[in-house]
Amino acid sequence: MAITGRHTQLLRGVLDLCLLAVVDDEPAYGYEMTKRLRTRGLSIVGDGSVYPLLGRLERDGLVETYRGASNGGPPRKYYRTSPDGRRTLADGVSEWRTTRDAIDTVLNPVASEV
Amino acid sequence: MKRFVKECRREWKRLRVPDSVANEMAADLTSDLAEAEAEGASIEDVLGSSAFDPRSFAASWAAERGVSQPPTAPAGSPPRWWPLAAIAAIAVALVGALMVIAPKPRVQIVSSSGGLAAVPHTLFRGPPPGLAAHANTVAVHVHELGGLILIVGIVAMIATLVWIWRSRAGGGSGWSSPSAA
Repeated sequence: MAITGRHTQLLRGVLDLCLLAVVDDEPAYGYEMTKRLRTRGLSIVGDGSVYPLLGRLERDGLVETYRGASNGGPPRKYYRTSPDGRRTLADGVSEWRTTRDAIDTVLNPVASEV
Repeated sequence: MKRFVKECRREWKRLRVPDSVANEMAADLTSDLAEAEAEGASIEDVLGSSAFDPRSFAASWAAERGVSQPPTAPAGSPPRWWPLAAIAAIAVALVGALMVIAPKPRVQIVSSSGGLAAVPHTLFRGPPPGLAAHANTVAVHVHELGGLILIVGIVAMIATLVWIWRSRAGGGSGWSSPSAA
């Protein structure tokens, strides 16, 4: 239970970066993003859906949207990173790596003793 | 799936999300859930724990998009002031009814030659003719005014009942809280 809670907390801080990263590669609609994340080993749906977060990214101008055709279905709302979104992504990734390295420095000795 | 989207729509309506935005979100959600279903995935696979709480999910999505407003009263609930309005309408109607049904004051001139000869006639002398006419006029006015007040009260009661009925049947439109205005 505690591990699940920590996973949620950790994910919450970087999920926006993950979404920006998957639509920076190629525009995607909501469910497509979920599938891309899952393909890369990150199952986020257990902790809530991507839709509210996409809403926030859109409101903050970090993603742009447009209507595009989908495979045989109705037109979908596609998301892609905006220039602001790309800057935020670059800054966020840099922050994440710095934080991750610092935490690794602290935790690595513990891990080697186990 | 349809039920989930319907619940979301209801919540967006309550949060006064513009129709165009609500329609867009509902269409996107429907398409995504249909695609997931076609692939053999469940709503939980797409929405996680949110699948069990459509209203929270819808509220969260709208809030993050910045398209929700302070909620209206829940659908089906009459406004908080309706008991006061109903009591006031009933009171007005009651006052009007009392004024209408109240007996007219019997103002008459008692003649000293009547059957009350044993009593000094000065004690039974009625008001002067001018005052009696005035009292009758006032009584008529009171009745007319009572009729008017009664009508106003009845109209107010009907209006209150119609408003309550509409709020129960019509999904709470028009019942926004003062802060929402």
